[in-house]
Amino acid sequence: MKINKIAAATVASAMALTALAACGSSDDDKPAADESKTVTLWLAGKEDTPKPLEEWLVTEYSKQHPGKTLKVTHIDWGELMPRLNTALQGKDTPDVVEVGNTQSPTFTSVGAFTDLTDKLDELGDNIGPKGFVEAGTYDGKVSAVPYYWGSRYIFYSKKAFADAGIDVPTNLADFQKAATQLKTGKTSGFWLPGQDWRNGISWIFANGGDIAVKDGDKWVAKLSAPEAQAGLKQVQELYKDATLAPKDGLDAEPWVPFNNGEAAMFMAPSWARWSVPEEKAKDLGAFPLPGVDSGAAPVFAGGSNIAISAKSKNQNGAFDVLKLIYSDEYQTLLAKNGLGPANDKFTSLMGDDEFAKAAIAAAATAKLTPASPEWAAVESASVMEEFFGSIARGDDPADAAKAADAKLNTMLNK
Amino acid sequence: MSSPRITRNRGPYLLIVPTILVLIVAMGYPLGRQLILSFQEFGRAQQFGQPAEWVGLQNYQDLVTDRAMWTVVTRSLIFCAVCASVTMFIGTLFALLMKRVSTGPRLALQISLLLTWAMPVIAAMTAWQWLFDTRYGVINWTLKNLGFSSFENHNWLIEPLSFFSVAGVIVIWMSVPFVAFTTYAALTQVSEETLEASHLDGATALQRFRHITFPTIKPVLTIVMLLQVVWDLRVFAQIDFLQKVGGTVSQTHLMGTYIYTLGIGQSDYGSASALSMFVLVLTLALTFRYVRRLLAEDAS
Repeated sequence: MKINKIAAATVASAMALTALAACGSSDDDKPAADESKTVTLWLAGKEDTPKPLEEWLVTEYSKQHPGKTLKVTHIDWGELMPRLNTALQGKDTPDVVEVGNTQSPTFTSVGAFTDLTDKLDELGDNIGPKGFVEAGTYDGKVSAVPYYWGSRYIFYSKKAFADAGIDVPTNLADFQKAATQLKTGKTSGFWLPGQDWRNGISWIFANGGDIAVKDGDKWVAKLSAPEAQAGLKQVQELYKDATLAPKDGLDAEPWVPFNNGEAAMFMAPSWARWSVPEEKAKDLGAFPLPGVDSGAAPVFAGGSNIAISAKSKNQNGAFDVLKLIYSDEYQTLLAKNGLGPANDKFTSLMGDDEFAKAAIAAAATAKLTPASPEWAAVESASVMEEFFGSIARGDDPADAAKAADAKLNTMLNK
Repeated sequence: MSSPRITRNRGPYLLIVPTILVLIVAMGYPLGRQLILSFQEFGRAQQFGQPAEWVGLQNYQDLVTDRAMWTVVTRSLIFCAVCASVTMFIGTLFALLMKRVSTGPRLALQISLLLTWAMPVIAAMTAWQWLFDTRYGVINWTLKNLGFSSFENHNWLIEPLSFFSVAGVIVIWMSVPFVAFTTYAALTQVSEETLEASHLDGATALQRFRHITFPTIKPVLTIVMLLQVVWDLRVFAQIDFLQKVGGTVSQTHLMGTYIYTLGIGQSDYGSASALSMFVLVLTLALTFRYVRRLLAEDAS
């Protein structure tokens, strides 16, 4: 029976493949003397940086540095962490990389990025937002700088509001009331999927709560604190009375139910606006999530940092890319495309329509996740998704918070 | 006289050299590296150049005392047992069916199975996710229209048991074609004369299957079962995909996704390697008897 022999060999190889090999090689880090002609830039997401902006960077780079080219590669957000983890340590590292603001500490803490502290002046004298710079700082050294920021705000259907005779809410209690009132048998007053913690967390922030705070050199999770609990109770009310979104849903594409006429409001970063089709756009309005008393509630700040790989052989060429990104022209382009510019001189260029106003108001108080190098591990283990999922299913917020706090304390202080 | 003899002796060895080289490079190195990693404290800092500390059996000790790990292992074993046996059963039924029906229907069946088999995992997973989608899924819509109104907006992935039922259906769907084709190929080797003779002697269909067909195709079934066990034990893409569209992650890990989360997700390469070694040993232990039996049959 020849077939057996072949099969036995197949079996052996199949089983060997079962073993999952962790990769990681330690290359020596001698920087080569000469820089190469091509500088590589990794951007996150397919079109998070709009195409015209990317093209501007590429053209302008070769114009200013004759004989050199800038090569842009797009990495999907979901793959970004593992790709950076492996690429940044090797010889073939990209020179400049975009990294999610909350992912920055993962790399700054191990020295994966070039220290830029002494060169910050060359980029500009008012780099922000502050939280982004902090996220890119470790041990007093700034090694990842803000690329762009976006903020989450509420998108709503003007028609739904008018039909129900509701005004744009100016405090959180009014918002809750409006969301509940707008819910019908088929439509959500406010679209909030069960595991959508990036939006849900705003209610904790609005009430003065936090995910975790640093006490000395230890992180202490704060989901059980009274402020956070107050926010979580409100979130639970929304899950119960204001939304038809799936209890196991994530934050992907919240505009879909809106476009289908199945939600009167949703919350998303500013760029969600471009996913609402033209015929619906007339009906689309925006306002920042209102604070408990008035003003805008602190929401979860979206956006990215940008950094130079410490292993890059093109340190000078890479810094030229950063300078180009911080140039007046590029900052203008960012602002005009609705992406918050790092240099706040240009923020006003985002426009003065209700979307720009909502974005700017929301960004003023926006907050970040704990700046711990271990936060990326928390995200990859979906701790927050599960926590909000259990709130959505009606678990007692105090019990759920206790369990999540315990997990966070272990993971953040690893 | 001696020259043909030498050629005969060397030939096979020369032919096997490339295979062995490929095995050493593609599997020996990662496996060796993994074994070393499993005795080290190896995290992100080490990945970026810090020296790795040798911790002996610490990673293994942590694993053995970790209840979460044992839950994941038990869950994986149950999932594997259920999927592998259901796949074998359905696959064999398909093979028997193919043997029975006339050319037209058989071709239709074979083409459908082949398309299933050829479908890339992620494309298939996307389609399955749409089918089971809470709001727009065909399955909820159908069930609702059949009168089961509780399935309106039903979350299929929220409860672990329901999650694994969906995952199981998908995994089985993907592996049935392989079992069906291989078993069908084996069935064509069953001697028609013997079957006919036993038919004339009055053996029933069931008896013919048990005493003639089954013993003939048993070696093939054994191999296929073995592969199924190995594949279903290391299932990864399907679980990972479903977790990302709505499952409760910590309650739905199987060994593959758990290792990935530990290693790539949390940069704890030491523990992840230790767990991988454990999975390797477990797989060998589970399949050892089959492999030995195969080799014994081969020798005879």
